[in-house]
Amino acid sequence: MGQVALTVDGLGVDFEGFKAVNGVTMTIDEGELRVLLGANGAGKTTLMDLISGKTKSTSGRVFLHDTDITNWEEHKIARAGIGRKFQIPSVFKELTVRRNLEVASCRNPGVFANLRFGFGAEAERIVDEVIELVGLTEEADHVAAYLSHGQTQWLELGLLITQNPKIILLDEPTAGMTQAETHKTSLIVNNLRGRHTIVVVEHDMAFVREIAERITVLHLGQVLAEGNVEEIEKNPKVREAYLGSKGIS
Amino acid sequence: MTLTPRRRIDWAIYATFVVLLMILPLVMDAFWLNRAAKYLVYGIVGVAVALSWGYAGILNLGQGLFFGAGAYMLAMSLKLASPTSLQQGSDKPVPDFMLWNAEPGARTELCCITKASFLWLPFQSQWFGVAMGLILPVLLALLLGTIVFRKRISGVFVSIITLALVLLVRLVVIDAQPVTNGFNGLTDLGWFKVAGFEFDPYIVPTYYLVAVSLSLVLIGARLLIDTRAGLILQAVRDDQNRARYLGFDVTAYQTFFFAVSAAITGFAGMLYVIVSEFASPTFMDLSFSITMVVWAAVGGRSSILGACIGAILINTISATVSETEGFAEAWKAIIGLIFVLVVLYLPRGLGGLAHDLVDRVLAWKSRTSPNPTRVGDTSSQLAE
Amino acid sequence: MLEVLFIGLSLGSILLLVALGLAITYGAMGVINMAHGEMVMVGAYVTVLSGIWLGTNIFVAIPLAFIVTALLGLLIERVVVRKLYGRLLDTLLATWGIAILIQQAVRLEFGLSFLGIHVQGLGPGLQNVSVPSFLQGTFSILGADINRYRTFIILVTAILALMTWFIIYRTAIGMQVRAIIRNPKMAAACGIDVSRVNALTFAFGSGLAGVAGVMMSGFKTVFPDMGTSMVVDGFLVVVMGGVGSLLGSVLSAGILGEINGLVAAATNDILARAVVFGVVIAIIVLRPKGLFALKGR
Repeated sequence: MGQVALTVDGLGVDFEGFKAVNGVTMTIDEGELRVLLGANGAGKTTLMDLISGKTKSTSGRVFLHDTDITNWEEHKIARAGIGRKFQIPSVFKELTVRRNLEVASCRNPGVFANLRFGFGAEAERIVDEVIELVGLTEEADHVAAYLSHGQTQWLELGLLITQNPKIILLDEPTAGMTQAETHKTSLIVNNLRGRHTIVVVEHDMAFVREIAERITVLHLGQVLAEGNVEEIEKNPKVREAYLGSKGIS
Repeated sequence: MTLTPRRRIDWAIYATFVVLLMILPLVMDAFWLNRAAKYLVYGIVGVAVALSWGYAGILNLGQGLFFGAGAYMLAMSLKLASPTSLQQGSDKPVPDFMLWNAEPGARTELCCITKASFLWLPFQSQWFGVAMGLILPVLLALLLGTIVFRKRISGVFVSIITLALVLLVRLVVIDAQPVTNGFNGLTDLGWFKVAGFEFDPYIVPTYYLVAVSLSLVLIGARLLIDTRAGLILQAVRDDQNRARYLGFDVTAYQTFFFAVSAAITGFAGMLYVIVSEFASPTFMDLSFSITMVVWAAVGGRSSILGACIGAILINTISATVSETEGFAEAWKAIIGLIFVLVVLYLPRGLGGLAHDLVDRVLAWKSRTSPNPTRVGDTSSQLAE
Repeated sequence: MLEVLFIGLSLGSILLLVALGLAITYGAMGVINMAHGEMVMVGAYVTVLSGIWLGTNIFVAIPLAFIVTALLGLLIERVVVRKLYGRLLDTLLATWGIAILIQQAVRLEFGLSFLGIHVQGLGPGLQNVSVPSFLQGTFSILGADINRYRTFIILVTAILALMTWFIIYRTAIGMQVRAIIRNPKMAAACGIDVSRVNALTFAFGSGLAGVAGVMMSGFKTVFPDMGTSMVVDGFLVVVMGGVGSLLGSVLSAGILGEINGLVAAATNDILARAVVFGVVIAIIVLRPKGLFALKGR
């Protein structure tokens, strides 16, 4: 195993007495693809919110490599190297696909540094590559508002790839997708494997089997188990708490 | 920056517009030229509204605050430069209304004739007034922007805050009668002077002062939204959070463009004072601020030139119609009606209409020409 | 001191009178109705016209104004507002256009003035309404002189607020309205005729504005532009109180009224209004959801 990329240490948040995430500790290695499983309300999305700075934690710490990024402002965490995809796909609706990606390709986030024209040949090359990777070549000059649900999800993935963060957090990247779309998404995610450290929240077991290495199971805001697909499927605690008596479908 | 067909057409339209501005004095008399200059000033305001509403997604219902701030700053200087409105026979002149409001026994000097009259002292220099006319709106915008955008207040709440703020300032200005002349505003102003040349509102050079200003603001604003920052601003407008998680400091972008819009509006306020020779609290009336939004909506909220032409067009038509006895009031009703119809059926305004038209022409050309050029090519987005 | 507090209460009740209808149209329907002030104005003109042409007093004008403005509201909802649901700022702009139209309609006597026909009570001029004699003058409590008409306004406002509360929280249609406030799509999925309920809600909100207009006409000069500043005040009350919270509107109207009254007593009316604006801005900045926002995710 390589170097540790992301360390979550006793992370928790208290919403007026309700502890949505309660002392989660885990480490994720450089280049790893980690799946977060858990029933609704287990705290998966909240955990992502805490890591990416959307929600401020009330206890514990988050480290990106050796940097303590706990409770930084969102854009600073993003600049430090954590990218995030939302459950409800969010892209820049009134810009074309290409322009969306150009925005993501911008390496210097300040206002004054960007008072210049064009993004440069290198950025355009990356944008072209990403458009191909996510399969939106034909739609490159369409306004994002006209994309289908699946295409919007892929565009958002494309934004993340272009942004090129060290760690990518994906919140249910296949939500609302058809089987064919889900499969294509797993191809895109598999393509990123190795180049980025990826954390995925997902319900769709077919998709999880296609991509998963290690799985962390959350239950009631705490880590219940950790292991590979097989171990998790056999784990009695997981079966009881999350899957019920029926097992993984 | 590469010139795509789309962009080439855009710049051709801009160039045509600027040329038209420049040749207008050939066909107009002094009276109408002065009026035209006023409407061009409104055109500048249109640009500012389009920038903040169309591109930054901030519907400012208090644009009049910046307009008023710019106007008052220069008007204070021009008031002190006015020979007729100052007390005669003193080597340290004070504005006439201060004499009327003077505190009993106060010395008739600018420093101390009324309680806060010393604020006027630096305005004895015209260029101080000019500088303040830009600085004050920008400072207000930076202050407001930093507070409001950092608190992530957006949409209608920004509109309500800006609206309440302009009304608040209006009341304060009215209440501060001894310094501002209250309801009456600053009238009987002197002429703007540059190197000894006096800009009489009814001469051709004054028209050109405004026309050239408008051209520069137009081109500057257009170039600004063509920059990377301009594109990122539009991204922020579409989805703040997405932009934030891509690493952009959303507050900084919003505040910066809000301040640019404020500076342009303040600049317009100053030009308005030069051509109309007064500044009054009516600049900060609710209806004036909303009227500015109407211009931009009719012209096209997300089209810099469209919003500008919208402002000029509406004012020109209303001036022409008002010439006919009794039609002025009916025209107001028609404006109301137009506005309802535009919001309902033409939400992108005339600019949006023109944009679609150009797209049609380009599509038709690419179909008929042997070497088809792609219509919506890479850099077409900003053209709207 | 009691007199000052009473004036504050009276100012607050006037604010609430205007805000009540807005609290409903904005809170329930997400429509910023800039023509709301014009509904108040129409209500005031109904009083003027009924006084001149029917010889009746404001007690007759109250139901009459309610009906007229409710119908006008219904018309506006059907023709314009319903096409703009979900586009909050566009409703603001479109209803501003409508506001100008209504103002000009009154000023131009519905266009009749072009034909040389003049209707007494309409037109650009100022109108006055006289209230029944038992509402004039003052009475005294604990040594303080209390204005009868202002007391009457406070009473009417209280009755209207209670009535509105009852309709929204204790009737079947009110339950539907509340369901729509929380989640219009879900409400529609549950079989609520959202479009019909919205139309009725808008009409009711407008009708309340009409009644507010009747009350206004008793102590303010009636003229075509009188509504413009009222709609702003009304919005500030609603936003400060928390959108969708009737109690919030009531309390914020009371607070702003008292602030206005106290500052005005200490300085002058202009500064008092400025302070009110300042307080509202500060509260929106500090608590964008208002003082008494609906709890929820």
